[in-house]
Amino acid sequence: MPAKNALKNAFPMILLTIVVAIAVTLLTFTDRLTRDTIEAQEEQKIQDMLSEMFPDMSRYDFEDEIYTIYSDGDKLGYAFIAIGKGYGGDINILVGLEDETTIKGITIISQEETPGLGTRITESPFIDQFMGLNIEDVALSRDGGQIDAITSSTISSAAVVDAVRTTAMEKVKLLKDCE
Amino acid sequence: MGKFGKEFLKGLILSNPVFVLALGLCPVLAISTSIDNALGMTLAVLIVLIGSNIIIAAIRKYVPGITRIPIFIVIIATLVTVVNLIFHARFPDLYESLGIFLPLVVVNCIILGRAEAFASKNPILNSIADALGITVGFMLALLMISFIRQILGTGNLSVFGYDFGNLPVLGENPIVMFILPPGAFLIIGLLLALFRRTGVMKGE
Amino acid sequence: MNEIIAIFLGMVLINNFILVRFLGLCPYFGVSKKLGPAISMGIAVTFVMTIASIATWLIYHYILIPFDIEYMYIVIFILVIATLVQIIELFIKKTNIALYFAFGIYLPLITTNCAVLGITLLVNTVEDYSFSHSIVAALGAGLGFTLVLAMMSGIREKLELANTPKSMRGLPIAFIVATLLGLAFSGFGGMV
Repeated sequence: MPAKNALKNAFPMILLTIVVAIAVTLLTFTDRLTRDTIEAQEEQKIQDMLSEMFPDMSRYDFEDEIYTIYSDGDKLGYAFIAIGKGYGGDINILVGLEDETTIKGITIISQEETPGLGTRITESPFIDQFMGLNIEDVALSRDGGQIDAITSSTISSAAVVDAVRTTAMEKVKLLKDCE
Repeated sequence: MGKFGKEFLKGLILSNPVFVLALGLCPVLAISTSIDNALGMTLAVLIVLIGSNIIIAAIRKYVPGITRIPIFIVIIATLVTVVNLIFHARFPDLYESLGIFLPLVVVNCIILGRAEAFASKNPILNSIADALGITVGFMLALLMISFIRQILGTGNLSVFGYDFGNLPVLGENPIVMFILPPGAFLIIGLLLALFRRTGVMKGE
Repeated sequence: MNEIIAIFLGMVLINNFILVRFLGLCPYFGVSKKLGPAISMGIAVTFVMTIASIATWLIYHYILIPFDIEYMYIVIFILVIATLVQIIELFIKKTNIALYFAFGIYLPLITTNCAVLGITLLVNTVEDYSFSHSIVAALGAGLGFTLVLAMMSGIREKLELANTPKSMRGLPIAFIVATLLGLAFSGFGGMV
């Protein structure tokens, strides 16, 4: 009798353990199934953005947070990620460098700015201003630079400009130190 | 019509999860910024709700009182994790749009609520009907809100990449507020009042 | 220090959990009819959010990541929260039975509050905050939640005396109030 009662009392916990065991197995299985695809995707996203910025890219290296872009044997330029503090959150920017003084261009990876206003930082007139610009000139026109802010989105524009300028200067310093 | 049909229809109108039961409001407000998001979220909810209803209905006779809630939670959380991983791998853009609201399906009151109120007390087939009805009700509510928000807030009608073009006036000057949080509250408040006024759905 | 202020203010005002992130809406519309219970609920939720953030941060960074089982985070986080709420419930029952009855069914319902799971997801998987930043974020989020809940209940108490159209009474007008509060709060954007 006591043994039977013990089993009855333990039943809830036994069932819970069984359910948990099944759950863990199912999850591990699904993880194995999807893990490679997910990792490959992240890699592909970066690669797509880099090749759009450097059309002749054949391969790239990634070291110390800086991408070095090659076309066969020749070095095409560099790229890195800059993060700006925008109106609605972080703005992730991919910045391309032609060499140690000139910006190749920028691509906005992700942002949470106000639709229709701040989100214009991802669009053509604003973004194109960075192409071929000297790093020294990366600043808002009101601060003596060459970038015109988007009307009524000065915070978003300034966030991008500051992030690009500051990070570019940082990375260039790193590159020079390594030579 | 049969019991199956009856349970299905109940979830649709009488017990519409959004407009009548006011369950699972968090994702409804957050996800309704576009029709794509609405459909994606519905798919996720569908898989989890049907899955959990089936499993819980199947084991309902063997689950004792005390460990009921933890077991339900483990089942639902597992299903949500599976959906999360699969969406991440197969539908990366949708995964990004849904953001944290995909894992938050776990605490979506609709799912735990149906498990508690229905699946734990009804046979499998009826539980499936319930799940389908509730999901369709959820989907209709979500689509209604997303449609309004997308049209008024962006002036653009595009679904899954099929761009039907911009609307004449709204395309140039969309009423941005509707895409923003306050707009969501406004639309739901007005819709709720409308449904009560026309007697389509009863409230509290 | 700047970072901490930025995170805190961000959570309380700029990206307010209820009005901007849409987290914690169920109790928002369910408990916000009277000021007293609303504030108690707010404090309880803040407490749970903070402890849950601490617990999940530790588990995420010291168990899930090292053992390469991050994908288990959803299951683990919600179980941690459920357990936490159970413990708190027992504690309140033993020490202050009046409070226990005052909360009623809303105490166990904190488990399914998207704000609680939301903050744990936010600090760990979305923002990847450090330990101290996570605590600041959780406190801020809870405070923001309580603030809006309190405002809402104050307004709704007054609304009870007003002549609201029949179809608007209850939930619909509450949503309209939320719209106005949301519009007001959006003025905080760009503050930091």
